[in-house]
Amino acid sequence: MESIPLTWEEVARVHGRKIYNFAYRLTGNADDANDLVQEVLLRVRKGLADYQPGSFEGWLWRITRNAFLDDIRKRNRRLTTPLPDEVDRWDLASTAGADVEYTRVSLGDDIQKALLELPFEFREAVVLCDVVGLSYDEIAMAAAVPIGTVRSRIHRGRKMLRGILE
Amino acid sequence: MTHPSELISAYLDGELTASEAGQLLSHLASCGRCAAEMEDTQRVRAAVRSLPVLDLPVGLVPEADAELIPLHHKRGVWVGAAAAIVVVVISVAALFAPAPASVSVEDLSSRFGARLSLDPAFGPAKVIMPEWEALVDEE
Repeated sequence: MESIPLTWEEVARVHGRKIYNFAYRLTGNADDANDLVQEVLLRVRKGLADYQPGSFEGWLWRITRNAFLDDIRKRNRRLTTPLPDEVDRWDLASTAGADVEYTRVSLGDDIQKALLELPFEFREAVVLCDVVGLSYDEIAMAAAVPIGTVRSRIHRGRKMLRGILE
Repeated sequence: MTHPSELISAYLDGELTASEAGQLLSHLASCGRCAAEMEDTQRVRAAVRSLPVLDLPVGLVPEADAELIPLHHKRGVWVGAAAAIVVVVISVAALFAPAPASVSVEDLSSRFGARLSLDPAFGPAKVIMPEWEALVDEE
């Protein structure tokens, strides 16, 4: 049976990096990925008390995708008002490793841009499969869709990517 | 002819049953279109999987940072060694100081402590870790 992290700190240690990579590939930028990781871990912290034993991965990624979708909804509402000045909200980019990180990120620029052109459902399925490494079962649980839908979304998503990259 | 193209990705991901995989492979043997699609899909899949794995920004989730610093016990040993050297240096300085009455060990410790807090580049906590790791690895 799958072992379940007992505390949110353990979730942060074990899954933080994966959540960040998912968030980055879904949003395409570090600031939004940072926000999403923090929001997800906040929700995990609140939700762990009510967690029912089952697929922890499915539960975690469902929280992650819901946090992302909620953020998109909030942004869409906010678009009618001027954006706040967020220049110094995250000063992480000025750390010593920023250049190295930028180089690593830019290596996959074309693929990242292509990913961002996919409709959310397809991008999510492809990223969960190819970046996070979830099984189709786990993706089905995270997205709350039948496994046949996951199969179709992943294949169609890859087909769309091919069209964009060519 | 029905082309089972949606089985292609699932096949590459190891998500087909044996009978589905057999069905797809026998189809591919006689369908150039699906065989080409298999190759294209494999390329795209490999491209996405080749995206660099990014590290969690340091400080974003302090609880996760501990994972990135696996040398806690080694650092403890070296900080202890550095502190021992500092004690020896201070003691020797106190012994050979020209005016021992005006500069006590407590004064030196106090000044040293003040410098530690004022100059972050000075002191055992800032010794470059990679060199230490190399030293430890050689042992």
